[in-house]
Amino acid sequence: MPPAPAIELRDVHTRFGAQVVHDGISLAVRRGEVFALAGASGCGKSTLLREIIMLQRPTSGSIRVLGREVVGLSDDESLPLRRSMGVMFERGALFTSLTVAENVGMPLREHTRLKDRVIDELARIKIGLAGLPASAADKFPNELSGGMRKRAALARALALDPSLLFLDEPTAGLDPLSAAGFDALVRDLQHALGLTIVMVTHDLDLLWQVADRIAVLGENRALGIGTMEELSRAEHPLIREYFYGPRGRAAWEQAWKRKSTTP
Amino acid sequence: MSEPTPPLHGAAGSPEIEIAGAWTLNALPLLQAAVDAMEWPSAPVIRLQGQRLSDLDTAGAWLIDRLIRGIEERGRRVEFDAFRPEHARLLEIVRAHRALLAPVPPPVASPRPSALEAIGRRVWAWRGQTTDILAFIGEASTVLARSLARPARIRWRAVLHNLQTAGFNALAITGLLSFLMGVVIAYQGASQLRRYGANIFVADLVGLSMLRELAPLLTAVIVAGRSGSAYAAQIGTMKVTEEIDALRTIGVSPMELLVLPKLIALAIALPLLTVYADALGVLGGMVLAKASLGVGFAAFLDRLRNALTVGSYVIGVGKAPVFAEIIAVIGCFQGFQATGGADSVGRQTTVSVVQSIFLVIVADALFSVLFNLLGI
Repeated sequence: MPPAPAIELRDVHTRFGAQVVHDGISLAVRRGEVFALAGASGCGKSTLLREIIMLQRPTSGSIRVLGREVVGLSDDESLPLRRSMGVMFERGALFTSLTVAENVGMPLREHTRLKDRVIDELARIKIGLAGLPASAADKFPNELSGGMRKRAALARALALDPSLLFLDEPTAGLDPLSAAGFDALVRDLQHALGLTIVMVTHDLDLLWQVADRIAVLGENRALGIGTMEELSRAEHPLIREYFYGPRGRAAWEQAWKRKSTTP
Repeated sequence: MSEPTPPLHGAAGSPEIEIAGAWTLNALPLLQAAVDAMEWPSAPVIRLQGQRLSDLDTAGAWLIDRLIRGIEERGRRVEFDAFRPEHARLLEIVRAHRALLAPVPPPVASPRPSALEAIGRRVWAWRGQTTDILAFIGEASTVLARSLARPARIRWRAVLHNLQTAGFNALAITGLLSFLMGVVIAYQGASQLRRYGANIFVADLVGLSMLRELAPLLTAVIVAGRSGSAYAAQIGTMKVTEEIDALRTIGVSPMELLVLPKLIALAIALPLLTVYADALGVLGGMVLAKASLGVGFAAFLDRLRNALTVGSYVIGVGKAPVFAEIIAVIGCFQGFQATGGADSVGRQTTVSVVQSIFLVIVADALFSVLFNLLGI
């Protein structure tokens, strides 16, 4: 029997009034993989992510995270589950009144009984893991650049050593160099920590370089789920448009080149 | 069944230490105790055995790394044996970030300022803010003058919207509170007046105090709390989320779009609210006069006509536009002072309410002195 999937969605429907966002989405994220949700803007990717991380309830359907049904879970019941999830929000959502080190240390302070000094050291390790220099630890979020803020948000998401990591548009707003660094960082962390990563992204480079499997959302459902190679052979016009637009082609060629040069 | 393995385990005299079990965040306090209690072999090379290490996360890796640092500081070497590749990789990553743990020298703390210096700094900051407010008033005035010259430029839609939120929507609370204020004044006066048989003078008491002083002041305080704070929070949030900067780049003056409609709307709304508060305050006094002093409505109104001059009514209502401008200017100004994040928006909102109520009362006092000098 294959191990139970980390996340399993069955027939998820979401409606806001008359507007239908999801019309029966089913998908499963395996343990230890990097899973990406892709699709055009406004196709409900972020809503789906918010439903998985229990910030929003779907109209109907079932969402199982680490083997537990999360739809209709009360706040108290969801707490242990939340502790095993790390979320990095698109705009960081760092607490502006705390320094970066305090931001990263906050989940530890809330959920463990460690000494302040230990928490501070752990927070600094996480800040380093996320690729920030030591000097960033004592700065306030508004003193950081956009890219550094993202990394700080990643460090906070990793604070409790979660087994599930959710990234909402991790590379949006980063320069190409930082974005490439982020690709490598996500891969590295995933290998070292054995994380299951779910990300919402438009970044085709990130999809090619990092994602193991991708679900393309459109027309209120999952148009296709599979590896990039499988999806790039898919027939659906929306998927083809997504991957074979001019930018999609460039990213594809680059990924191909990289694959053929590295044995 | 095997005994639960201790997380750290070394045979006496052997240079080998076994690391076993789950080294994760949840177990960290226990693990730390084990590390502290460990007796170190004296061999020059210590071998760490990781075969039975089942789980490792960054917290556990940090602790193992601390252990290694401890051994190395005693001038000995550490070798790894049989660690799983992913565990070895994680240890390596944490090791690579060791430099981060070097305590950052704390920024040179400036010595605690002496009392005199603290006073000086406060005054200096206060002076700076006063000039800033004056500059803000100046800017708002020029924009107002420019807009009045070309009224088509004024955003009437925004003015109407502000009239509704700051004026119309405040009718219920203002009405209720001034009615109660009228009741309270009449009630307080009643026992004194009854003693002298001067029941009818309750109309003078309620009429004069409400119209001249209390209705304008009460309304201003309510509006400062309701609308002034809303202005500061709205503009502060826009400032923090760079919406103000966005407006500037689009070529829309934030003064014109955000501040001017509020100044105009409040200057209209507050006098109207004051008139309404006048009426309801007097009504409150009238109701109580009938109930507890036996002064009928007709007698009360008849006396009111003699007691009040147009002057006292105009004085009260005339103060309202001044109060309105104080509230709007302080609310908007404090909003623009927000920097950073949510914290700062909250602080500026508080400051705006405290300052505008303070300045409204100071202005009221100045009016009293002025009217006294003029003999009105």
